[in-house]
Amino acid sequence: MRPILLSGHERSLTQIKFNSDGDLLFSVSKDKIVCAWWSANGERLGTYNGHQGAVWTVDVSPNTTLLATGSADNTVRLWNVKSGECVKVWDFPTAVKRVQFSPDGSRLLAVTEKRMGFLGTIAVLDINYGENFNDQADEPSLRITCTESKATVAGWSFLSKYIIAGHEDGSVSQYDPKTGDQIENIQAHEFDHQINDLQFSPDRTSFITASKDKSAKLMSSRNLAILKTYTSDTPLNTASVTPKKEYVILGGGQAAMDVTTTSARQGKFEARFYHKIFEDEIGRVRGHFGPLNTIDVHPAGTAYASGGEDGYVRVHHFDKSYFDFMYEVEREQMRK
Amino acid sequence: MSKLGNRADWADDEEFDDPSALPAQQVIANKDGTKTVISYRFNDDNKKVKVTRRIKTTVVREHVNPSVAERRKWEKFGNEKGHAAGPSFDTTSVGENIVFRPSVNWKAQAKEAEKDGGEKGSMKDQLKDKKVKCRICSGEHFTARCPFKDTMAPVEEGTAGAGAADVEEDKGGLGASGSSYVPPHMRKGGAGGGEKMGGRFEKDDLATLRVTNVSELAEEQELRDLFERFGRVTRVFLARDRETQRAKGFAFISYADRGDAALACEKVDGFGYRHLILRVEFAKRST
Repeated sequence: MRPILLSGHERSLTQIKFNSDGDLLFSVSKDKIVCAWWSANGERLGTYNGHQGAVWTVDVSPNTTLLATGSADNTVRLWNVKSGECVKVWDFPTAVKRVQFSPDGSRLLAVTEKRMGFLGTIAVLDINYGENFNDQADEPSLRITCTESKATVAGWSFLSKYIIAGHEDGSVSQYDPKTGDQIENIQAHEFDHQINDLQFSPDRTSFITASKDKSAKLMSSRNLAILKTYTSDTPLNTASVTPKKEYVILGGGQAAMDVTTTSARQGKFEARFYHKIFEDEIGRVRGHFGPLNTIDVHPAGTAYASGGEDGYVRVHHFDKSYFDFMYEVEREQMRK
Repeated sequence: MSKLGNRADWADDEEFDDPSALPAQQVIANKDGTKTVISYRFNDDNKKVKVTRRIKTTVVREHVNPSVAERRKWEKFGNEKGHAAGPSFDTTSVGENIVFRPSVNWKAQAKEAEKDGGEKGSMKDQLKDKKVKCRICSGEHFTARCPFKDTMAPVEEGTAGAGAADVEEDKGGLGASGSSYVPPHMRKGGAGGGEKMGGRFEKDDLATLRVTNVSELAEEQELRDLFERFGRVTRVFLARDRETQRAKGFAFISYADRGDAALACEKVDGFGYRHLILRVEFAKRST
């Protein structure tokens, strides 16, 4: 496969996201610009300009009309995907590290940083898709305060039934999005190893966490049971579950501060593919010359994109060998 | 620039008038259904560059969601506002092909592939099976390391070497059988021996070039680089002034093969090097 290199950013990527149809790819980086790309050919559709600081996170509504971004300038901005206009700005006391639309797109959660005397929170904002996108509620409908350890990542489970958050201390917790109560908290990863990414499977019944403790875990959304563990030899920044084939993709690499003292070969700047069920590593894709910060998989499972510390987004459209690979037991199952 | 009077004069040709103008893009349809697009642009050094691209167009029909089809019509916005359709060179490029074959034992395969790649590169591995053969004693060492280096000349051919050794044993030294001392050059094989001493040089001389009119500032390495492109150079000698260490103006280049030497002689003779024109000829025997 021939990757498409997208070089629209001048600084390291922080998050990339396909829309629900997979024809658009959104990327955000520390250089304040949000880019929209056509995933098929890598053409840039446009940029969303207005943030005053590093942009940490992006998410697109399920119907691809609104785009939400969270930034180090303490704002969450809502954009009109088609025109590139900013339709709403929500101010927060601290930087916003993660935003995510609920599966039906009616709500947006925003994870805010713990800093300057403010505790880390998860705010839930109601989104209105009326005639006028500017018509949005000013105040969050719910605020969950993380008193013990701040949340670094969060997302919505199936049917928006739970909010699931990964914490700085390596634990994963489950909240009720109606009341904001914590239902469960599990120390999924080693203590004090931050969870860097949390992505759901397509049906949102399970999710994968990537942690600094060099492992990724597949967990059940319902009861936070650890279903599978994928161990690697490098701190992980991101993990994603692939639809269509039963794989997971992990990305990581040396911490940014150690990069200059290690060669690209040792740096482990590769996307690692694991079999989701058998937990075996089945291959790697190299190409980045910095750690991988973010990975997202095309909703149809035909492509994946990775964003690195090197400022590049690489879009890979899988070729036949990817889809053909099967374990012997899978093949036998097919024959029956 | 001016087109006054509509003169059909060659001097009015726009290309001459405006050197900064780029020729128009040309599109040629080829027989096999491909297109050749010739376009011109300025590169970073402000030089005109001709870009020739062969484009094969394949139409792929795809059924998509109506909303996806609708989105394809969207105008560009933000920093891309007003840009033409299609990926632009400064944001989008295509990377090298990556072979990705998922496999259970990919680690072993990757290691193997790495080993294969490594072997090709190293000269040492390539010459692993080659044996070193001494030209003097045919032993397994370099000629320069031969223990008989000082006492024996290189073996010219199998017979000559053996003969010489025999003769020397017979008539060697103070002569075991003879009554009086025979100087080496008067001995039966001695003449040969003497010749062989010469022969040793002669053999080299056959592939040695004398280069004259060499610049004072010349360096041996430069000469080696210059001459090595014609074949393996075994020796470079650049005569230098003992006091000033500057080149005296001539040099000797020895090749491993006479054919290479002849080629170099032909090519480099008259070659301009450091503002002087080199003169190259086969070195004469220093008799």
